[in-house]
Amino acid sequence: MTLALELALIAFVVVTAVFAALLRDVLGSIAVFAAYSLGLAIIWVLLQAPDVALTEAAVGAGVMTFLFLLTIAKTTRPDTEKPLKQVDLKAFVVVAAVALLMLTTVPAMPEVGDPDAPPVSAEHPTGEQTPYSYYIENTYVQAGIENAVAGVLVVYRGFDTFGEAVVVFAAAVGVMVVLKREVLK
Amino acid sequence: MIEEFIARHYHVAFIVVLAIGLYMLIESGNLVKKVIGLNIFQMSVFLFFTTAAYVEGGGPALVGPESVPGEHSNPLPHVLILTAIVVGVSLTSLALALVVRVYREYGTLDEDRLEEVMAGEP
Amino acid sequence: MTDSSGFDDRSENDSSTHRGQLEADGGEAGAPIDTEEARRRPYVESQVVMATVRLISPFVLTYGVFVTLHGADSPGGGFQGGVIMAATVVMLAFSFGIQPTREWVDDSALLGLVAGGVALFAVAILTPMAFDGAALELVVLESTTTVAVKWWVEMVEVAIGMMVAGVVVGLFFVISSGVFGTDEADREGDR
Repeated sequence: MTLALELALIAFVVVTAVFAALLRDVLGSIAVFAAYSLGLAIIWVLLQAPDVALTEAAVGAGVMTFLFLLTIAKTTRPDTEKPLKQVDLKAFVVVAAVALLMLTTVPAMPEVGDPDAPPVSAEHPTGEQTPYSYYIENTYVQAGIENAVAGVLVVYRGFDTFGEAVVVFAAAVGVMVVLKREVLK
Repeated sequence: MIEEFIARHYHVAFIVVLAIGLYMLIESGNLVKKVIGLNIFQMSVFLFFTTAAYVEGGGPALVGPESVPGEHSNPLPHVLILTAIVVGVSLTSLALALVVRVYREYGTLDEDRLEEVMAGEP
Repeated sequence: MTDSSGFDDRSENDSSTHRGQLEADGGEAGAPIDTEEARRRPYVESQVVMATVRLISPFVLTYGVFVTLHGADSPGGGFQGGVIMAATVVMLAFSFGIQPTREWVDDSALLGLVAGGVALFAVAILTPMAFDGAALELVVLESTTTVAVKWWVEMVEVAIGMMVAGVVVGLFFVISSGVFGTDEADREGDR
């Protein structure tokens, strides 16, 4: 049952991605891209990542769509007669080669949800404790925080988070430089 | 063979969607569609990370004093991805600002016409 | 150039309806936007969208604040809450017109949000150093101050939320003002 739901969601995500690529109308592409983001957000709920799902739903389906719409409202939207593009053969061959190469690595990956997979096992092969196990056992004990994601974000990886905030801030400055404009009116 | 791929369906989905994003980046002449392709590509990598964090039968990474590994998904990839999403939207807006600026300078967003216009300038 | 005074006149005469400058298919050749006529063209209003946004936006904003403040105990945190709060403003801008929303949102409040977030983050970085810890080593604060680590984490989450909300709304306004702006800098690159 769950597998059927997962496969249906994957099919939805792949189909929306294909349409985003093939639709000639940029507005259509943007709308389909929002649906793609929403599909991924639901997949992340199934993968027990509520924090990521929350962010994705707000950003991918919300803010990002608005930014794209704003951009085409400000620039141009090409005239379209046929709704769908022809598949470009050269690009398709290159991309298919890349995808086939990557698909050959799939059987070597751990199965989805395998408890012995390296990212979610309690010990390294050498017998040392993994970061995963450390975070799960200690976040509440050391910091009194139930949401381990927030705990790792602030307590254990605070510098990382600070760096991310700097990147966000730098992007804002970059946009102002590119558009020669300040927020102030 | 087929079972192996079914058991790793999220990995297959990651590769397929990544390929579609790459296709948009290569093929699309419109700059806005290139940025959309970049985002599709980027989100497929997010899918790969969250899949690695998932453990069968485990709940979300909400822990208590007696939590043991195996009952929760790994919080570390979640942290990396949720910050990456927010950084992604900032960088997307920077890319879109560049797109707007390119349109204002050259009056087109089509890659080929852009090359013509730029070649025509001294 | 009577643009800015034109805006003021219109908003005085016509305060019952909100108007913006977003045209769905505007800017075909860049020309129509530049004319006074086009600038005055009303934003295509939808009663359904406006009523819905008016109804749900307080709840969405509250949810964003909730998510930010409860990051330590339930899924959520500064990044998520900040984006949800910013989405509220973006939603308002798209339903009631971008220019009125820009005028409604105080720019110094926006800058204050970002600066306040940075300041709070700086407090979180420096306070542990005052108590013989490393920078950002919040765990040492539990024994030296009577405040549990959890509340310091919440403070950092609030700082991140303020920063993210301010930056996302700011980015949105900056990108939107490129074409709809009314000053000289806006026109110098146009052909």
